[in-house]
Amino acid sequence: MKIGPLNIPIKEDFSLKSILDFERTPINMLLAVSVLAMLAMLLLGVGNYLIHSHHAYNVTREHPWGLMIAVYIFFVVSSTGFCIVGSLGDVFGFKDFTMISKRAIFGSIVTIMAGFTVIAFEIGHPVTMLIYNVLTPGLTSAIWWMGTLYGLYLTFMIIEFYFLLNNDMKKAKIFGLTGLLVGLAAHSNLGSVFGFLNARTISQGVYYPTYFILTAFITGIFLSFIVMGFRYKLNFDDKTKKLLEGLAKIQGLLISILIFFMTWKLLTDMYGGMPNRAEVAHHIIHSTPFYAEVILAMIIPLLVILKDFGKSPVLMFWASLSGMVGIFFMRYNLVHDTQVKPLQMMKTNEYQLPPEWIEYFPSATEIMISLGGLGLCIALYYVGTKAFDLDESH
Amino acid sequence: MQVEMSRRRFLQGGVAMSVVGGTTFSATNLFASHEESHGSVPTTITTKTSTGEAKEVPILCGMCVNKCAAFARVEDGVITKLNPNPYFPKSRNMLCPRGNAGIQTTYDPDRLKYPMIRIGKRGDGKYKRVTWDEAYDAIVNGTDKFKGLKQILDEEKDNRATVGYANGEGLSKEGFEVLIGQKMGTPNYVDEVSICLETAGGGFFSTIGTYPEIDFEHADYQIIAGANRAEAIITPDTMDMFKYTKGRGLKTICIDPRFTNTAAKSDKWLPINPGTDLAFVLALTWVVFKENLQNEKFMEKHGVGYEEYKQHILSHKYTPEWAEPICGIKAKEIYTIAREFMDAESPIYYPGRRSVFSPNDYQLRRAMAIFQALSGNMDKKGGYIFGNRGLLPAEYVKQPIYENTKERFDTEGIAFPTLKSGSWIVFRNMVLEGKNPYPVRAMLMRKHNPMMSVPNTTKTRAFLEKMDLNVVIDILPTDTAMLADVILPEASYLERMSPVKSYGFLEPSVVMRKAAIEPLFETKTPEVIFKELGEKLSKPLFEVSKKHDVALQELIKEKGEKVAFEEGGYNLAEPFEKPIEERNEEVITEVFGKKAWETINEKGVYYPHMEEYHKQLSPNDFQYYPKNKRKYTSRGDSLKIVCKNDSLTSGGIDAMPTWDDAWKFSVPKGEFRLITGRHAQFTQSGTQNNMMLRDLIPTNFVWINQREADKMGIKFGEKVEIKSDIGAIVLKAYPTEKIAPNQIFLLHGFGSESNGMEFAYGNGGNDATIIKDDIEPMYGASVMHSTNCKIRKV
Amino acid sequence: MARYGMALDYKNCINCKACEVACKEENGVELGAEKHRIWVGGNNPDGQWPLLDIASAAFMPSQCQHCEDAPCQEVCPTNATYYDENHVVRVDSDKCILCSYCMNACPYDARYVDDRTMTVDKCTFCSDTRLARGETTTACQNTCPTKVRTFGDLDDPNSEISELLRTRDHFSLKAHLGTNPKLFYLT
Repeated sequence: MKIGPLNIPIKEDFSLKSILDFERTPINMLLAVSVLAMLAMLLLGVGNYLIHSHHAYNVTREHPWGLMIAVYIFFVVSSTGFCIVGSLGDVFGFKDFTMISKRAIFGSIVTIMAGFTVIAFEIGHPVTMLIYNVLTPGLTSAIWWMGTLYGLYLTFMIIEFYFLLNNDMKKAKIFGLTGLLVGLAAHSNLGSVFGFLNARTISQGVYYPTYFILTAFITGIFLSFIVMGFRYKLNFDDKTKKLLEGLAKIQGLLISILIFFMTWKLLTDMYGGMPNRAEVAHHIIHSTPFYAEVILAMIIPLLVILKDFGKSPVLMFWASLSGMVGIFFMRYNLVHDTQVKPLQMMKTNEYQLPPEWIEYFPSATEIMISLGGLGLCIALYYVGTKAFDLDESH
Repeated sequence: MQVEMSRRRFLQGGVAMSVVGGTTFSATNLFASHEESHGSVPTTITTKTSTGEAKEVPILCGMCVNKCAAFARVEDGVITKLNPNPYFPKSRNMLCPRGNAGIQTTYDPDRLKYPMIRIGKRGDGKYKRVTWDEAYDAIVNGTDKFKGLKQILDEEKDNRATVGYANGEGLSKEGFEVLIGQKMGTPNYVDEVSICLETAGGGFFSTIGTYPEIDFEHADYQIIAGANRAEAIITPDTMDMFKYTKGRGLKTICIDPRFTNTAAKSDKWLPINPGTDLAFVLALTWVVFKENLQNEKFMEKHGVGYEEYKQHILSHKYTPEWAEPICGIKAKEIYTIAREFMDAESPIYYPGRRSVFSPNDYQLRRAMAIFQALSGNMDKKGGYIFGNRGLLPAEYVKQPIYENTKERFDTEGIAFPTLKSGSWIVFRNMVLEGKNPYPVRAMLMRKHNPMMSVPNTTKTRAFLEKMDLNVVIDILPTDTAMLADVILPEASYLERMSPVKSYGFLEPSVVMRKAAIEPLFETKTPEVIFKELGEKLSKPLFEVSKKHDVALQELIKEKGEKVAFEEGGYNLAEPFEKPIEERNEEVITEVFGKKAWETINEKGVYYPHMEEYHKQLSPNDFQYYPKNKRKYTSRGDSLKIVCKNDSLTSGGIDAMPTWDDAWKFSVPKGEFRLITGRHAQFTQSGTQNNMMLRDLIPTNFVWINQREADKMGIKFGEKVEIKSDIGAIVLKAYPTEKIAPNQIFLLHGFGSESNGMEFAYGNGGNDATIIKDDIEPMYGASVMHSTNCKIRKV
Repeated sequence: MARYGMALDYKNCINCKACEVACKEENGVELGAEKHRIWVGGNNPDGQWPLLDIASAAFMPSQCQHCEDAPCQEVCPTNATYYDENHVVRVDSDKCILCSYCMNACPYDARYVDDRTMTVDKCTFCSDTRLARGETTTACQNTCPTKVRTFGDLDDPNSEISELLRTRDHFSLKAHLGTNPKLFYLT
């Protein structure tokens, strides 16, 4: 069935009924209930935000960026990751990876839409942003480039997905490549949002723009395992196994590089003798979320991969879930650690403790909107699987 | 958000007072609405100043006792900003944080808005809103709940002394003294002096003839002991002093048990044991005499009993080694300071007015003044300045004589009782203990909050509850107002013109406060209240006198009632007949001429040759008087330094400053000595409900030495109970190394129990409930640093 | 068109916070400890009673440094933060989207969120209040009891501030970041 003037190919049986039609296994039911709960939280959180505006968030003068920025980064990094994985087959022509392209590109669309949803409630005036981004663009601002490029990127991704659905591989390749390049630019610009902060020595420099691309690829592979795991209910056929083994091997390499990067980043931070930066680095390695990031996103997946060089896709599925939790902490840490050291170290009131490390814990509203973003992402993806044929076309 | 709500509530007339109203009356009939206010109230707490039209009204700050001049910017009937007045030599174009926050006092949502009389039991907060006439009538005739002045005085056979009164510092204080003291005729007056700086003033006055001003511009060395000018701001001292500290000409030695902000600006900080400054000064003096460092010529010329004093110091062997264990300051330091002081060109032992901390404070001030004189740096440039007298003459009041009025009695344990303002503590305690020769049955209190300001709140409450009638004139529902039978709401200092005030010393001037806005709601200015109250009281009380006063009866027989009333001065409102605007105009025009009136009206300040002398030197500096027009020396040969004062011995007071070992500092193990002091962002209990200042000092924390706190497991912000012999309060802890291990410090003026004040109610603790009501022997002034406390985490 | 700056004779500062209150009242800044455009910083003195380090207890008034190369301006995606004609770093609240990037980028913690407009607010050197009325001092300078502050035109060689900077030693905060602050601390 093709609908609309654009002839978007939709599955024949796509209807409300088909959406509600899924195997009533306990896990599926749990997932369905969770997603509905998360969507309800989104409504609740947004409602609370509309009533109390930014007071509903635990962000402060010293810690202006909170959980929702981290979650936004989490989603756009996922999107970029999906885009990279999707491009392996249809842009770069790695045949083994073509079977995931359509699914990955669709994933990149839903994740970035979830990201945009979350950021829309984090930014105080999203409508003003749309207007003045155009009228008075801040060309020296990494956020302007990041935002603008992600806008373009989403457009390209949608166009690519359209051509993929229509099996127009040539046009898909053109828009895929453009989208990928714009996405990489956008994503490294997101890294540079932190990299340009010369007030924040822990983040300042070239590290984040490059590291963001690396971690995006890693995230994309984790997500691929997850979506394929659901697609095949962990009963992978040989072709999929081959795809996943390839991805696992790449993942092994990427995680190793990441560990190498991080080790040197931390070593130079801690022992490079830069005042402020060294302190913060020492503070970071004494924080629990740092270990959550390292263990969940790096050590567990790497051990699983090293066990038999990526030949256990089912185990990799679980390791990827762990990996995504780790990636969440990675984003949260990035945002929090950037701000953890106060820029003003004097007491402004007699009756206070001297400023030390800045504490932050997200408010219920921030948590609800963030989880809501996840719910929205899963729901959109699920509807997508019902509406579109996301398997490789033959 | 919470505070924005509060201002809105102000517009509606104040929810806070609904608590006062209790359940008896509904909010609608009790509270003034916005429309009933004469002026307008801003809808926001702070108002951004506009670029549009505005009036600049000269005012005189009323946030503390200091009197700094300012201009109120008034836009559309709303005060949007207070700016410093560059014409006033005393406050030199500055306004402190409290001065800046004055707007919040005027627009305080919890302001008293209309007269009220008590309808419930005293202290239960049930009041009825009444008209001014009804309120005055209640004061004169009472209600079914309390007696009026007429009945009380009739029962007491016109002994006017049975009515006591109290007034805190301020420009209208004198008017209240005239009305209640001179015209109504009671001698029983108590005010802030005996709970504040009485011995500082008295000690200096009786030794060198005045409490001096300091010429910091030309001074090069100072000892600032027990004074904290960085936080207890006094103009012009604070502004002048800190321009020259920190290696810029004025070497500063700070002597204070606490590391204050003044200590932070000093070259040396020496923590001294509380109450032992006298030993420190005596030891300094000993070094000077021993090493013959004094200006002998100066002392021989001006000293009275100088040789005897020298012998007294030397023979008592007040050596630095003797002082070291008493003060906790090393002998070596005392030698150095004494030598440096006498070596300096223009050294200053800062006189440092403040509350009375120790029983020896009078003698401390004497010893300080004499020590300063030893340097010869007195009545001259760079030293203690005596300068000019004020520019205005005193006013004459026609004072009636009441035959049956008895003298004041609060003299127990006091060597030299002051007749005018007495001793709050002795007055109160003698009444409570039944030692008063005649009953005291009413207290009329204006701008005064003894429930928080006089040590031992339990006794103050008992005292006020003993009264047949309590009247409070104030701007906020204070703890004291909550014990009143009649509450009269006064206009705040920004809503009223006040009597002109003159300042003397180096750069004399006259300064005037104008009303920036009309009185809000139903409030009235003090002078109008005095006039109206005087009018209402005159005839009924005259009737009482007619009945009981034989002398008056004879006068009436002789001259007739009408003449006796007029000539006898029984028209109590007579001094207030002319509105304050006219009185001010009259006195200024009379003394300085019409042009001066125009100047002071526009600029708030006047002094002869102002147009010629006053110049802006830079964006920050002004010249008020050229140097050659400043009177650095005014006493000349007539200056006397009274080293030995034999008349003191008649009251059992030492003729010369002498140390008594009873004053040694000691604290029982496990206890802490409670010391008080100031922060720049707070004026006692007067600013406790100010929203802006609350931002800066949210509550009164208790300072406790960091290591002691660690031992007791007390962390920052944790609640601790501070318990003395007479009471206990719970405060948040502030562990710090800025205080000694055996002392604690807390800010005065918090812990209100009046739920009429939204922000002050229950915030922190009231130190008056735990400070013992000890007095010093000279005037019976209360001693603030004699209480030991136990601390426990709660 | 001027190039406004401020010199701070910070050794005069007694941490009374008159400047903070004057700023709030003049500019209608909302209440709340976090909501300040300017502030005075202090430290607990080093050492233990009675041997405390006086030098460590200095007071430092601070605020937006009105950098010549302001990181906050560079990172603003909508140019809501701009240099006005007098080189004062300002925020156009109509354009501010509250992305808070500037708050993160400012090395001086000089920015906060105004809850009423939900946009970022900061020191304006009283440009839209006092200066707009033709006055020549800021509220903080004018009220200061010990006259810490001197505000003026750095381009005018005859201004008091130019004179001060020519004749007195001074330093800037976090000068190594290359922000070229226009607040100068006199020593």
